[in-house]
Amino acid sequence: MSNDVLVLAEHRDGAVSDISFELLAKARELAGGSGGRAVVLLLGATELARELGGADLVRSVEHPLLDRYNPEAYERVVRAALEEIEPRLFLTSTTTVGLDLAGALSVASDTPLVSYVCRLEAAGDNVVATAQIYGGKLLAEVELPRPRAICAVLAGSFPVPAMDGEQAPPVEPLEVGGLLDDLRTAVTSVIVPEAGDVDITSADLLVSVGRGIGNQGNLEVVEELAEALGAPLAASRPLVDQGWLPKSRQVGKSGLKVKPRIYLMLGISGAPEHLEGIREAELVIACNTDAKAPIFEVADYGTTVDLFDLVPELLDRVKA
Amino acid sequence: MIVRIAIGGAVTAVALALAARRLYRLGRLVRSGAPAPGRTSKAARRLGAEIVEVLGQRKILRRRQSGIPHALVFWGFLVLLFTVVEAFGDVFANRRFAIPLIGHAAALGFVEDLFILVVLGGVVAFTVIRTIDSPARRERRSRFYGSHTKAAWVVLAMIAVVMVSLLGYRAAQVNTGDFPYGDWAFASHALASLLHPLGRGVNSVIETTLLLVNVAAIMGFLVFVTYSKHLHIFLAPLNIAFSRRPRALGALDVPGSTVGAEHIEQLSWKQLLDLVTCTECGRCQAACPAWTTNRPLSPKLLVMDLRDELFAASGRLLSPGRDAPATKLVPDVVRAETVWSCTTCGSCVEQCPVDIEHIDTIVHLRRRLVDEGQIEPGVQEVLQRIAQQGNSFGKSDRMRARWTRELGFPVKDARKEAVRYLWFVGDFASFDERLQELSRGLAHLLHGAGVDFGLLYEGERNAGNDVRRIGEEGLFEMLVERNLASLGEASFEEIFTTDPHTFNTLRNEYPAYGLDKPVLHYSQLLQRLLAAGDLAVEPLGLAVTYHDPCYLGRHNRVTEPPRAVLRALGCSLVEMPRHGTNTFCCGAGGGRIWMSDDPSLGERPSENRIREAVALGVDYFVVACPKDYVMYSDAVKTTGNEDRLKVVDLVQLTERALRAPALREPETV
Amino acid sequence: MRIAVLLKQVPDLVEDLELAPDGTDVDREFLSFVLNEYDDQALEEALCLKESAGAEVVAVALDEPEVDQCLYTALAKGADRAVKLGGVGEGWIDGHRRSAIFAAWLAEQGADLVLTGVQAADDLDGQLAPLLSARLGLPHASVVVHVDLNGAVALVRQELGGGAAAEVEVQLPAVLGIQAARQAPRYASISRIRQVQQAGGIEEVAAPPAEGGPGYRLVRLYAPEAAGHAEMLTGSAGEVAERIVELIRGKGL
Repeated sequence: MSNDVLVLAEHRDGAVSDISFELLAKARELAGGSGGRAVVLLLGATELARELGGADLVRSVEHPLLDRYNPEAYERVVRAALEEIEPRLFLTSTTTVGLDLAGALSVASDTPLVSYVCRLEAAGDNVVATAQIYGGKLLAEVELPRPRAICAVLAGSFPVPAMDGEQAPPVEPLEVGGLLDDLRTAVTSVIVPEAGDVDITSADLLVSVGRGIGNQGNLEVVEELAEALGAPLAASRPLVDQGWLPKSRQVGKSGLKVKPRIYLMLGISGAPEHLEGIREAELVIACNTDAKAPIFEVADYGTTVDLFDLVPELLDRVKA
Repeated sequence: MIVRIAIGGAVTAVALALAARRLYRLGRLVRSGAPAPGRTSKAARRLGAEIVEVLGQRKILRRRQSGIPHALVFWGFLVLLFTVVEAFGDVFANRRFAIPLIGHAAALGFVEDLFILVVLGGVVAFTVIRTIDSPARRERRSRFYGSHTKAAWVVLAMIAVVMVSLLGYRAAQVNTGDFPYGDWAFASHALASLLHPLGRGVNSVIETTLLLVNVAAIMGFLVFVTYSKHLHIFLAPLNIAFSRRPRALGALDVPGSTVGAEHIEQLSWKQLLDLVTCTECGRCQAACPAWTTNRPLSPKLLVMDLRDELFAASGRLLSPGRDAPATKLVPDVVRAETVWSCTTCGSCVEQCPVDIEHIDTIVHLRRRLVDEGQIEPGVQEVLQRIAQQGNSFGKSDRMRARWTRELGFPVKDARKEAVRYLWFVGDFASFDERLQELSRGLAHLLHGAGVDFGLLYEGERNAGNDVRRIGEEGLFEMLVERNLASLGEASFEEIFTTDPHTFNTLRNEYPAYGLDKPVLHYSQLLQRLLAAGDLAVEPLGLAVTYHDPCYLGRHNRVTEPPRAVLRALGCSLVEMPRHGTNTFCCGAGGGRIWMSDDPSLGERPSENRIREAVALGVDYFVVACPKDYVMYSDAVKTTGNEDRLKVVDLVQLTERALRAPALREPETV
Repeated sequence: MRIAVLLKQVPDLVEDLELAPDGTDVDREFLSFVLNEYDDQALEEALCLKESAGAEVVAVALDEPEVDQCLYTALAKGADRAVKLGGVGEGWIDGHRRSAIFAAWLAEQGADLVLTGVQAADDLDGQLAPLLSARLGLPHASVVVHVDLNGAVALVRQELGGGAAAEVEVQLPAVLGIQAARQAPRYASISRIRQVQQAGGIEEVAAPPAEGGPGYRLVRLYAPEAAGHAEMLTGSAGEVAERIVELIRGKGL
């Protein structure tokens, strides 16, 4: 039983995901305050350990079946890690990995779990988690019991302090033995979206459309605007689901995370899943006829002018 | 003589046999349809319709250019029945046959001759019309696009042959001395004098020949009629006798089933009779807002396609037990997008001279599509919102009366306090921000005039007019139940509504479920108030045109009250060509406002209408329907006419015309 | 091949949510409920599998407010059976207890495949699919957007984020958390739902005894303060467009 805080590092294609750094920063804060360690669990891709500067320790696991994310394999290994390390807190996310693992581990290791965490604070001897439920309409304040708890954290909840100059952390392998024999789950392939014509994640200026566009025919005028601005056209999930734009243009939790200097959004209401994709946008300008749309709580500038009135006016001025 | 009887008899016998067999088969086909209750009630009205529409040719005369020739030809056919009797008498009795009692009356001879020429004149007129309005040249813009034009030419040719041979043999009869009429039969005598030099023997041969040609042409025409669209000459009176009275507008026909028609025999016998009665005149097509704006629906082509399927399926329908697969009406006979393009505006029903009930059939096809879940996702979402929240906007039902907050005075809850008028506001006027302003305007007007009114607040649900017309009969009934429950809790004398769609269903369909209070449109209420002096106004002196909402003007014949309001407001009204019961749809009805539209098809119905208005040179386009306000405000922008035409509601004009109103006590109930 | 689809009603978020007096739950008295949208996707995927592979679809739900509606709708859409597990008490049922009840029922009744929505708006103590799979000791996958059946194996597509997806083979029996069905959930007309209602058809059984709880202490629920607000640009479309172009140029773009 320790005051360690364990973080599961998520990675793909040779890079550690941003969420892992967010969790690591929080882990350091909490562990430091209680005399424990911030430990990172890294499954596969051991070479990435050096990027995890700031961790007190990295426990790495090497196994061919961990080359790609496999829900069952990860679960077995993390469960074993929890038994060995016995952290006070285990932090994971609400990505696919987190959604797969958190609940399963909670039952398998009889550990309380709080999901959708957006704040995590030490309160004396206790840790208090704040979670978003009902689409963010309500917050739940939960006292995490001892000896241990699991938190599934929403992406973008914790800031990432600059960790340059931190040394690469010590790495200690975790043996799994025959743990991954007789898996009932096998990953046969991973599909990466086609590079497509444009990489919206590197664009400085993006024009993004949502349901407010109405139907596919109306995209034409917005495409014209995007072209005139020299910006790629991006979209929220519903439009991509309908096939109006390719997946490479999808912004959001299950799409791409973008970080433009200006993000011009037309007819998007601002559901949490979309917002996850634009956390790092510098300036967000939102156009939506519903004055109560959630996007206006997040955007920097907003207007309730109808996008069909606004776009031609923008087009005129941009072309001028 | 023997020869005449032999040939005439043979031709007649064969023709009658063929025609009878065909008519019998058609009768069986029609009767293989589903039941259609209520088609023999209101006998007096039906008889009246026969007189006015069939004998009086009322609906066909609405379009003068083809209507006048048609009426004349029709009356001609009636009169010339006498000549048919005479011709048969001449064949089978004796050459000198004359109808008993009147057969020598000079007046009869004159009338017969006159109408022979009139009918020939009619044939010429039709020829000219069909040549100018030819689909080969004008394509979609011709009302004959898609019609069987060759058969139409054959019919005209046959009529001409009948008339010419008739006149010819009468003329020959004059010369052989067999003609029963005197000098007043001017045409026969005129032609006779031309034939006279040929001598009596030749004239006798001419008489026999042309008589037999005449009889053969009539019999041939009879048979041809039973196999072509010209069958309407027999079926029109029949179809008109069984059509909904006073008209197939307003309420939908009571559906025999809520699951609609998948196969042709699931349409009712009346709907099948509609199909075989269609004359392919194309007046419905020309009036249809969808067809006019390039959308894939022509009421005429829909009817013709269904009729083709009826004939194609006759094997299966008339010999049951035959194992033939039943064709699905949608998508194999009619495309789904055709069915969904209808706005239920009723122009087709209004125009049809033989009283075909297009909307009922289209909605019945839609019911099937809804039952199978074959509706576009946008519509599905709207229906689910209506089912869950009771409104098409997906907002909480508690927000329905939010618009009253800015009024500055409380609006009564009719469920808690008795009121004189129950204001059934409608979804759009309650939830759309632009329209909430109009609702507030009306509330202020009524409040200032001392009108005692109240709302149902969150007890009000979407009235269901367009839900029913999309084909979701179950949801419609659910809405009716809920609304009637709320209305039952409330205490009021009359209902008025802002929305003509709501007006239509409350007034025409809810009574069948138990609603027994008068229902008004707010224009009727404004008319009342202005006439009584409860709203003191000064003349505005504006030049305006007024757009009759389909569900107010055409479906419910309420065309005068809004005009009375405009007069009372001192506006000078310039009518658009398509006004009153002939109004042109904005394109939002029948659930279309919730459906996707393909912008590549060209101008929308609302834009077409705005162009019609702009041509008048007036400054204001007056509307009396929330959907019209939205549709036309958009259309004015998209057609670039913002500087030339302003869309205003009756409420806005009334507000503008008000002198400062004195405060009044509310009317006591 | 039996597919069990686990359904849950959640408060309709169109309404404002009021808190119950003790501050640890929403006030359920005036709430209206809708089927969890992801459970709707799970049901649709199950029905698609029934159509393509001929499986039996059993819709199961706990006896919570307005649950009859979603069970009748499931039957109207084509589910073979609908089961309501009663005697579960009032108020919010946490994920741990919920999964325990379903696990007990599934242990008795059996199913080759269990589908449920990947998440729900009130999953404070975790999502049903992983909780359930751990109780049953079955393999599982979440964020699934397509399922194919191949004998004793399910081939699923699992979304990984960033537009990537994995094709995963899972041995049956298994539990899947569905993100999206292969097509939009079908429409069940009110007439059909009413017909089904009249025919009865929901099997009401007592929920098997099951223990479980979240294991933490919920201190309170509260509404967030509005974090901040966008600066609203007012005026005509032209004026707003002017300002926006200024902002864009201001960033040097």
